[in-house]
Amino acid sequence: MKRIMIETEKCKGCKNCAIACMKAHMPDGVPFSLTDTRLEARNVILLDKDKQYRPLFCRHCDNPSCIKSCMSGAMTKDSATGHVYYDPKQCAGCFMCVMSCPFGVLKPDRATKTTVIKCDFCKDHGSEPSCVKQCINQAIHVEEV
Amino acid sequence: MTQRFSCTTCLSADKPLERFVADLPMETSFHRVETQEVKCEFGLQGCCCRLCANGPCRITPDSPKGICGADADTLVARNFLRAVAAGSGCYIHVVENAARALKDIAKEKGALKGLKALDRLCAKLEVSGSDIYEKAEKAADAVLADLYRPVFEKMELTKKLAYAPRYEKWEALGLLPGGAKSEVFAGTVKSSTNLNSDPVDMLLHCLRLGISTGLYGLMMTNMLNDIIQGEPEIRFASVGMRVIDPDYINIMITGHQHALFAHLQNRLTDDDIVKQAQAVGAKGFKLVGCTCVGQDLQLRAAHAVGLFDGHAGNNFTSEAILATGAIDAVLTEFNCTLPGIEPICDALKIKQICLDTIAKKANAQTMQYGFESRESDANSIISDIIEAYKVRRNDVPLNLLPEHGNDNTLTGLSEVTLKSFLGETWQPLIELIATGKIKGLAAVVGCSNLVSGGHDVLTVELTKELIAKDILVLTAGCSSGGIENCGLMTPEAAELAGPSLKAVCQSLGIPPVLNFGPCLAIGRLELIAVEIAEALGVDLPQLPLVLSAPQWLEEQALADGAFALALGLPLHLGLPPFVTGSPIAVQVLCEDMKQLTGGHVMINGDAAESAVLMEEIIMQKRKDLNLA
Repeated sequence: MKRIMIETEKCKGCKNCAIACMKAHMPDGVPFSLTDTRLEARNVILLDKDKQYRPLFCRHCDNPSCIKSCMSGAMTKDSATGHVYYDPKQCAGCFMCVMSCPFGVLKPDRATKTTVIKCDFCKDHGSEPSCVKQCINQAIHVEEV
Repeated sequence: MTQRFSCTTCLSADKPLERFVADLPMETSFHRVETQEVKCEFGLQGCCCRLCANGPCRITPDSPKGICGADADTLVARNFLRAVAAGSGCYIHVVENAARALKDIAKEKGALKGLKALDRLCAKLEVSGSDIYEKAEKAADAVLADLYRPVFEKMELTKKLAYAPRYEKWEALGLLPGGAKSEVFAGTVKSSTNLNSDPVDMLLHCLRLGISTGLYGLMMTNMLNDIIQGEPEIRFASVGMRVIDPDYINIMITGHQHALFAHLQNRLTDDDIVKQAQAVGAKGFKLVGCTCVGQDLQLRAAHAVGLFDGHAGNNFTSEAILATGAIDAVLTEFNCTLPGIEPICDALKIKQICLDTIAKKANAQTMQYGFESRESDANSIISDIIEAYKVRRNDVPLNLLPEHGNDNTLTGLSEVTLKSFLGETWQPLIELIATGKIKGLAAVVGCSNLVSGGHDVLTVELTKELIAKDILVLTAGCSSGGIENCGLMTPEAAELAGPSLKAVCQSLGIPPVLNFGPCLAIGRLELIAVEIAEALGVDLPQLPLVLSAPQWLEEQALADGAFALALGLPLHLGLPPFVTGSPIAVQVLCEDMKQLTGGHVMINGDAAESAVLMEEIIMQKRKDLNLA
């Protein structure tokens, strides 16, 4: 089972990972734009109290709080890959998953605030995370766990 | 009750302002700091190059060179030179317009308010004439001729404007600038794709640009503006948003070109214009100061009595000033005019007029300043502003902040007025320094930014640390606007100074921080340093004088910084100027420069630590001068 591993000290805050994620998750008919609010990254780089970069990616947890808190069955764990997937059609928009994610990486979508923005490990791109491919600092890599 | 735009505004040293902005229903720069908090390290270190289609190339341990082969040193030096050239270009544009304005006024035998300043300039430039107009025109011509020289022809006035020991040093180092505009041109070409790759050559070019920026863009601009708009006069003034009087039609001016609105400024107090204002229910017109040109107006307020109400705040206070609702028009003639004011102007129906297309705002009307059309332009601008006043004043609610700022900030300091205050000699100040009552001088200059702890946070904290160490602080730039609104330029601020500086301030009735006004006044501080050095028979690097641009913001500040280094002065910055990716640039700027010009850069974002560093330098220089 594969996970994205983070080497925080290598991050330079360039946000290539965020742009790669936006490009990998473009809604149909929406061209890439840095100003279109419908395009969102599933990852984020924050600064910690020492102003060091803290890149955050979905951990696809072994015991995912998002799944436990989801009452509608929109969050599911793939038994083969261990990846946690989100189905917007099943989602009631209660955002309990957002509230319960211990990493603060889930968020309501910015444009409509009706669905959840969630990493899918680029399953439509061969399950090879676009963020990892675009990180020029090797601050993130995929590891077999 | 209006709803706050958001609760994520940044801090300010100016607490009333911080609370005012936090409560605003519209977005300001203070709100956008958080969303821009994560900065790209490549940009921060100057290691991103997008000069060609192969780019952007970024330097990492695995990719230490761009596709072209340029390494981090070349990338950084190119980026830095581009920034310094652009910053220099800004100031040279300002001095060019000031010289052109003086020439035009002189040709028409128009009003010149600073005849002593004219005499001083003519003496310096060795210009003579049969009357003031001929002298003024010849002086302006001499400046313009220098600005327009090719790069291979040295400017002729440099020797007359520079301190002799510095001139000799620059000559020996090959740093004497050619025509100021051509030097900007050369810097731009040199830093283009696949041309210069020598980081040291490019850094030396920055020094050359620093010299032309400092002597012409700063010092000469003040001299020309003093002739046109009158000389500064020392006085106590009201500062902050309390100066805004909603009974008047209020015009906020942003920029750096006081010369451009000489005619308009005079016109606004003419009887027929005041009557037009009264006809629509206002008492008349007022100019509200903002950014550096507001500081210029503050210095020269004695020549705009009844019109200029005071300086309300610096660059990042401009959005708040507009949000009071009491400003009816913004006249823009240069930077620092934030794009962020545009939606606020739209929302509050504030008329925006640009007097110089260089600073054209997206949603503003252009009224390019022209000497020939000044009368009809002024009338047209005034009638447009009256229309805006009529439309908006019944419509837009006021949100004033009368408790902001103070009423007793000492202003009007210049190289002339300070010397006059001291009895037409620098000896009293020299004595105070020699006896250790004042340990030394620190010039806290430059801009305000929002990321060095917040708006004016580092500037104000550093200033407090310095005065507590008995170091007299002199200011020029948006630092002045921030520090004065925080009350450090009132005589009462002496309480915050160390014991001996406090005693000096109390006996003279002055504050421990002296306000020289706009960033252009860095040129005034240089003249003071030169006159003190002359009196002592030493060169500038020997003086117990340090410089800090704690919250530098713009490319112009980098050109100012290059001037400081050319003068051989220690220069503190709160944030690095996008050069830390290059070991050579860091070595040259922070160390090797000491051997070249005597100056050097030190970077520290902590107020207490920075003040200790600056004090150590002052104490070392005192020791070298055999002062106790």
